[in-house]
Amino acid sequence: MRFNLRNTLFIGLLVFISLSFVKKLTEPLYFEVPKSWPKPHYNFKDNPLTEEGFLLGRNLFYDPILSRDNTISCASCHLQTTGFTHVDHALSHGIDGKIGTRNSMTLMNLAWSKSFMWDGGVNHLDVQPIAPITSEVEMDETLENVVEKLQKSEKYQILFKKAFGTTKITGQRLLKALSQFELLLVSSNSKYDKVIRNEEKFTEQEQKGYHLFKNNCSSCHNEPLFTSEKFENNGLTIDTTLNDIGRMKITKKPEDYLRFKVPTLRNVQFTFPYMHDGRFKTLTEVIKHYNSLGNSKNVSKQLSKPMNLSDNDRVDLVAFLKTLTDTEFLFNKRFPFPKENYETLTQE
Amino acid sequence: MYKTLLIGFVFNFFFFQASFAQKAADSLILKLHLKFGKDDLELGKKYVSTKKDTLQIDVFKFYISNIEIQYSDKKVYNPTNSYHLIDIENSNSLRIPIGYKNNLAIKNVFFNIGIDSTASVSGALEGDLDPTKGMYWAWQSGYINMKIEGKSSSCKTRKNEFQFHIGGYMKPSYAIRKVQLEAKNQEIDVSIDVSEFFSAIKLSKINSIMIPGKEAMELADYSIKMFKTE
Repeated sequence: MRFNLRNTLFIGLLVFISLSFVKKLTEPLYFEVPKSWPKPHYNFKDNPLTEEGFLLGRNLFYDPILSRDNTISCASCHLQTTGFTHVDHALSHGIDGKIGTRNSMTLMNLAWSKSFMWDGGVNHLDVQPIAPITSEVEMDETLENVVEKLQKSEKYQILFKKAFGTTKITGQRLLKALSQFELLLVSSNSKYDKVIRNEEKFTEQEQKGYHLFKNNCSSCHNEPLFTSEKFENNGLTIDTTLNDIGRMKITKKPEDYLRFKVPTLRNVQFTFPYMHDGRFKTLTEVIKHYNSLGNSKNVSKQLSKPMNLSDNDRVDLVAFLKTLTDTEFLFNKRFPFPKENYETLTQE
Repeated sequence: MYKTLLIGFVFNFFFFQASFAQKAADSLILKLHLKFGKDDLELGKKYVSTKKDTLQIDVFKFYISNIEIQYSDKKVYNPTNSYHLIDIENSNSLRIPIGYKNNLAIKNVFFNIGIDSTASVSGALEGDLDPTKGMYWAWQSGYINMKIEGKSSSCKTRKNEFQFHIGGYMKPSYAIRKVQLEAKNQEIDVSIDVSEFFSAIKLSKINSIMIPGKEAMELADYSIKMFKTE
């Protein structure tokens, strides 16, 4: 009897010790798919979301350690309050004040994206950061060197250990952590969403605009993500100072000449300037461009019929587009620069 | 009782140690020998190609994947997850442990030069496939299957440099290549003769291919010729 009791106590002690380790394990995060939205494209099984992974990704996203001279972070061109894009710059600028050839894209609802960049050259969210990190006009750094710099940082040794269980820092872990942060940038609480969920109502003007949107825009800017994920020629003439041929650079197919990714319109009110080269400063200019097309050659077939919008229609359409603004997303306290002090961040 | 457990544990420890050590010695190893013609390939050394180009190699890295060993009974052994980055600067990479040895005679060895399209669209991967290995493109996703860089007086380029980054995972520019080699003995010794590659191209004409496409597909075809069993 005594022997059995001892054994039971011993096993109990083992279980107790094991349980004390449970507390140290990561806290899984549930990725919520908004009601009636499609299934995300990202395979979460390959990169299970955790609070610790998200926090590591958030720190990396705001850290200029990713660039050659520690001056440029992801957030330099992707600011939260403007839909995670570089507002007010037609072409985004990077290291040493160098200017790129495109307007930075917005970052939201990336779990549903099948390809990345204006030309879709990047095939997976995980590997997207390699492009800006190694671009000589953006961060001009090598992935290998970033990993080396992170390995020397005590803060990141702790953060990687919390997220992945060991202090080992690899390119894979760095990229997966960045994905975790970016995947959780979900914008699904705009006025539009609330109207769809019957929680709010459009004004008469917004309702008219929504009707115009469905007739003229939604064949490419598909609801609820407001993008078809496809590449289209929207009738912009080539800027001869840039000579950006778009999707054709990737596929080498002549039909992809001047085709660019259809961007989402969520939070479009704040993501100006517009188009791949940022040539339009206002939504009115954008709509005027589409209104001026009509019977143009080489333009995607969805744009082949003239829109013929009146001035009033244009105002109504802009009113609708503003209902895609998601203030909760733009000011979500989970996403800005991680101000938590070093102690709380690294405490065991 | 604890004593018995402890003794058992210590015994097991040594027993497993010994058995694993045994296994390592028995495992089949694919050995790679980098050559230029008859000579061992050395970085920075001057060689002359059959096209009369004087050249030196500064970088030589490539992937071998999906190794298959076919035995005399036609059965094929296919080690899982076999992606190996071969780098002339990393001598360990020239010995690929296959892990399983059969008493039957080895008939054929198959492997791919490069990375398949599935791995190319699977995001950030680990080990030899980690994008920090310098074999991943940025502006257009995908692995560089083979990297050959060096200098030649025939190249009228900056510093007389040539660069070949062969890759591409999308049809019609899918640059992976399958190699089939007949095994000459029970040890698999594969020679990779870089001179074969340079006998297919004239460096004054072709000296910089760094994107997927038609040219990369041709270079990938030439790269197969380098592989032979010794």
